[in-house]
Amino acid sequence: MSIHDLLKQYLEEGRIKVDKSIHHELTTYHDPCNYGRKSERMFGHGYYEEPRWVAQQCCENFVDMYPNRANNFCCGAGGGAWAAPYVEERTFYGRTKAKQIKDTGAKLLIAPCHNCRDMIMKSLRKEYDFMDVEVKYLWELVADSLVIEPREEEGEAEEE
Amino acid sequence: MEPLLISKREKRRLASQYADLCLTCGTCAGGCPVTGVDGLDVRKVVRLALLGMDQEVIDSKFPWVCTLCGRCEHACPMNIDLTALLRSARAMRPRDQVPGVLHKGVAQCLKSGNNVGIPKEDFLFLLEDLAAELGEELPGFEVPVDKKGAKYLFTINSKEPFAEPEDMFFWWRILYAAKESWTVTSENWEGVNWGLFTGDDAAMKEIVGRVVKNYKEMECEYLVLPE
Ligand code: SF4
Ligand code: SF4
Repeated sequence: MSIHDLLKQYLEEGRIKVDKSIHHELTTYHDPCNYGRKSERMFGHGYYEEPRWVAQQCCENFVDMYPNRANNFCCGAGGGAWAAPYVEERTFYGRTKAKQIKDTGAKLLIAPCHNCRDMIMKSLRKEYDFMDVEVKYLWELVADSLVIEPREEEGEAEEE
Repeated sequence: MEPLLISKREKRRLASQYADLCLTCGTCAGGCPVTGVDGLDVRKVVRLALLGMDQEVIDSKFPWVCTLCGRCEHACPMNIDLTALLRSARAMRPRDQVPGVLHKGVAQCLKSGNNVGIPKEDFLFLLEDLAAELGEELPGFEVPVDKKGAKYLFTINSKEPFAEPEDMFFWWRILYAAKESWTVTSENWEGVNWGLFTGDDAAMKEIVGRVVKNYKEMECEYLVLPE
């Protein structure tokens, strides 16, 4: 089961509640190759719309990068490149991604993949000077937007 | 150089079923961020493969700086299986010449059940410790380990217990809020399969097989890999 389907299902069925107003800054979404193109090629379905829908339940202002979905640029760390020694090449690769992100003007970037998130957060932000853009996993965005109802008899369990 | 018969498919070791359909249009290379690195690009890789010059591709670093992102093959008008071609060049590297820690991770995963070699006791201790911490905020929270019949079996990215354990809280919070029935296994919980990246099909199968075995033994309905 895909995490996108699961998160979407929770939200649609009302099993989790989220508060959009926690994330009011302009937010954009990075399409990871694996959930997009690869999934489309291998399983006939690319996860483009589901994560966007989930993200938009949790943030007020959303903007897409250009190009996006199947034509999106890879972060530069895919295929194991994050763990390979070619740092310079990887960073060079990421220049297109960095430009895409900066061009949106977004201050929050959602990346539903460990690899992409690490690459963008820990490498590209520094190399291409956009430390002011926050990076979160899709599930981190959801977790940070949660309104958790207290369990029976227990006290309030509020998010920070 | 000896002339090669392009029609002789068995001469080609690099896997691509359709490379001979290439129009040399360059669409693939035009949209690839690492075109030119190491003097190569994906269109040239196709040419080299067709000419039987496999070794040049295998020895170059291009297949490794390529992220197998698939943008090239998505755009290719002839729908040529370019990522399969590039990945097969990775597979043909002798294992001790696989760059970086990738192959070491694969070997470690085969041995210990995760890419970074976290022993079972340490893993269980960590989960318990973290669950207690989150439990202070979310009363009654616990991490269900090896719970038979849970609806969802979650794998874990070893990076998290290894370096960023508190990142596991994100999913845990969601599962708590949704009152979900879920579990993690105490062994072979690794969700990252580096065999995919090193072109090592045998290792990849073994690692996937273990996760599937867990999934069957735990009698879970769904398997979730939050990658
Ligand atoms: S896009 Fe396809 S047809 Fe065109 S050069 Fe690349 S592999 Fe050949
Ligand atoms: S799969 Fe490799 S060669 Fe193709 S566009 Fe991506 S990085 Fe370039």
